[in-house]
Amino acid sequence: MADSVIRIDNLTRRFGSRTALDSVSLSLPRGAVYGLVGANGAGKTTLIRHILGLLAAESGAVRVFGLDPVADPVGVLSRIGYLSEENDLPGWMRVDELIRYSRAFYPKWDDAYAEELRVAFALDGSTRIKTLSKGQKARAGLLVALAHRPELLVLDEPSSGLDPIVRRDILGAVIRTIAHDGRTVLFSSHLLDEVEEVADHVTMINSGRIVLSAPLDEIKSSHRLGGQVPSLDEIFHRRIASTIT
Amino acid sequence: MGSRLPASGSRLSPPRAIAWEFTWRHRWGFLAVGVYLAVLAAIKLVIVVRNVPVAFDSEESFALAVVVPITVSFVYLLAVFTYGLSGDLAARQSMYPARMFTLPLSNAALVDWPMLYGTTALVGLWILTRWLSVWPTEFSIPYVWPATLAAALVMWTQALVWMPYGLAGMRVIVSVVVLWVIDAIVLLALHFKAAEWVIVAITAPQIPVAYAIGRVAVARARRGVVPQWRLPSLASLLSRVAPARGEQIEQVEHSSAGRAQSWYEWRCSGKSLAVWVAIILPLELVLLWAAGTSTTLVIVIVLGALVTPVIVAAFAGVSASSMGGSGSARDGYGLSPFIAARPLTDAQLLSAKLRMTIRSTLFAWVIVLLAIPLALYSSGTWQTLRDWSRNVAAIIGVPRTVVLLGVVVAGMMLSTWRQLVQSLHFGLSGNPRLIKGSVFVSLVLASLLGPLAIWIVDTDRVGVVWSVMPVILALLVLAKMLAAGLVAARLVRERPLGDRALIAGALCWTSAVVALFALLAWLADTPHIPRYLVMLLAILSVPLARLSAAPLALARNRHR
Repeated sequence: MADSVIRIDNLTRRFGSRTALDSVSLSLPRGAVYGLVGANGAGKTTLIRHILGLLAAESGAVRVFGLDPVADPVGVLSRIGYLSEENDLPGWMRVDELIRYSRAFYPKWDDAYAEELRVAFALDGSTRIKTLSKGQKARAGLLVALAHRPELLVLDEPSSGLDPIVRRDILGAVIRTIAHDGRTVLFSSHLLDEVEEVADHVTMINSGRIVLSAPLDEIKSSHRLGGQVPSLDEIFHRRIASTIT
Repeated sequence: MGSRLPASGSRLSPPRAIAWEFTWRHRWGFLAVGVYLAVLAAIKLVIVVRNVPVAFDSEESFALAVVVPITVSFVYLLAVFTYGLSGDLAARQSMYPARMFTLPLSNAALVDWPMLYGTTALVGLWILTRWLSVWPTEFSIPYVWPATLAAALVMWTQALVWMPYGLAGMRVIVSVVVLWVIDAIVLLALHFKAAEWVIVAITAPQIPVAYAIGRVAVARARRGVVPQWRLPSLASLLSRVAPARGEQIEQVEHSSAGRAQSWYEWRCSGKSLAVWVAIILPLELVLLWAAGTSTTLVIVIVLGALVTPVIVAAFAGVSASSMGGSGSARDGYGLSPFIAARPLTDAQLLSAKLRMTIRSTLFAWVIVLLAIPLALYSSGTWQTLRDWSRNVAAIIGVPRTVVLLGVVVAGMMLSTWRQLVQSLHFGLSGNPRLIKGSVFVSLVLASLLGPLAIWIVDTDRVGVVWSVMPVILALLVLAKMLAAGLVAARLVRERPLGDRALIAGALCWTSAVVALFALLAWLADTPHIPRYLVMLLAILSVPLARLSAAPLALARNRHR
């Protein structure tokens, strides 16, 4: 696994008495779409925050592009495009200001691509972020996450609470990102049909533990029942049920 | 004191549920108020049992013993019952908790219960203080009008805080003006020795008016009414005057990540200090027109104006140090993922913050340094100040007078910046309790320092204070250096900053202290002020421990 974009070894994280991540180990090679699935509170966002260096590993190690994201935030974050589930873009900024502000941080920012995305997402540059709808805010966040053509795109529950049109935009962005050679996407969601649509590799997480991590095709073939290929949703429920029992 | 929610099976009524939320959420604050009242009761009991005549050596001594704590308790309860401790006071939206609008309660119930509880708490605070405090025998203590004034103040504050406004920051201005007018009317009535029933007749009718406005405020907020008044922006004004320049401002480009972050910080919180100074300063400087030829009054007013940015910075510093940005962090204090995920080092994030505080200080002081001469010239008091400075120059010489004035202004500017940065470690910690606690402590200190200074002067304790000053300053320096040592050890261990930054910081601090010492020693070249005292002052004046703790707080907040 010399070319792992993300490598996590025995990562454990506790918040008070609650164990959010329990000895999680994961290695994500370059150039694929990884779906991180799990119920609400399973530990998906905690794992992503460790990858971004927003949480420091209590025990275990996290390496992104071979670097420690806490010790070298510039080295790691300048190569990542991140869309947060919190949709926390500053409301006082105008869309144009957001674009110009974000551009300053990324040497590989592509102005033409940013403009292409702005037009495709029907975002008016002079509009303040706080006046945008939830879907438009998600599109604005996606624009700044994609416009520097990141090596790793991290989407944390990107389509949660959004309408099908915005969800289609997000999935389209994932597909466009993969179209560029060697780029990697980490995509967390509890909407399994969405993950099934784009992911090459699925990691299931439950109560802070990884219960399954394998290529999607392998997962489906190994869970085949009487010649029928189950959906990811059915497989997930079966795995969770078996974990509980 | 409240208690935990009853076990399942028993059910709270809506009024009790609202009361429970107040009491349980603020139980520690209520406990502190309760302890204060219990202490008052114990003191009174001892005095009554021993039959000791009660006499204070001055009104200021009495103020320190009773009025200051009751004022602090009053402000705290006011903040609790207006829901002012959660939410953004400067926002246009109502501060009434939006989550309560979805409860199956009428608008009347949403207003009635918090207003009733707030009024009961504040009137109760007055009644208990009136009853339990040891009042000096020479004082005639009223019963009713302070209670009606307290009820009017709390209900007006609730109504104004819950009202949605058309402009950001307007809530603060409207509330300050309305409450100031109510206080001023009562103070005028007291000045003219009005009878108690007259003051009750002034304050009591305000209660139904405030209630009616509170009802309108909550009804509007519940319907989602948030008026949006538009003021022309600086850029649009400039574009009218000089279109090309205005366009440049709209299209501001950031040549580096650090500059982009500085721009972000400036837009988030850089202007608040200057805006507040620009609001308060005219109210102070207008007094110059009433000063006439009184040199003392003119100097006091000018000094008051010079101190304004320092005092405002003590409060603006807390919001300026927060890294959440407007509406971006979950709790409004923690570091938002949007900022935390910027590809910047912690040092770069902090550096942008420090650049903003310097710019903010300079911006506020440009306003002060333009407004004071303008007001002096327009009011005709310029001549009075010029005569005074000539007298000073005749005593200490022209160079010292010029340097003294420069040092006073520079010292005030440095103090303004100091106030902004010394709460950085609170704001950057992202800990709401720490941040709110520091604001509360600032409020308490601000309300204590004035009466304490007057008490020292009026009770002829200046000599005593001066004689123990070296010990006080030495202890403060010891505490500062100990804290700095602890912070330095953590900085070396946790490495949020590189070696070069640490060494450069230490050299800057040492140079600033030595330069300040040299300047002060030259200015105060008198045997009455020993050099070691000047050195202690110089060490205390330049921020060190709390500023050094800022990178640690930021690193902990960013990489929890």
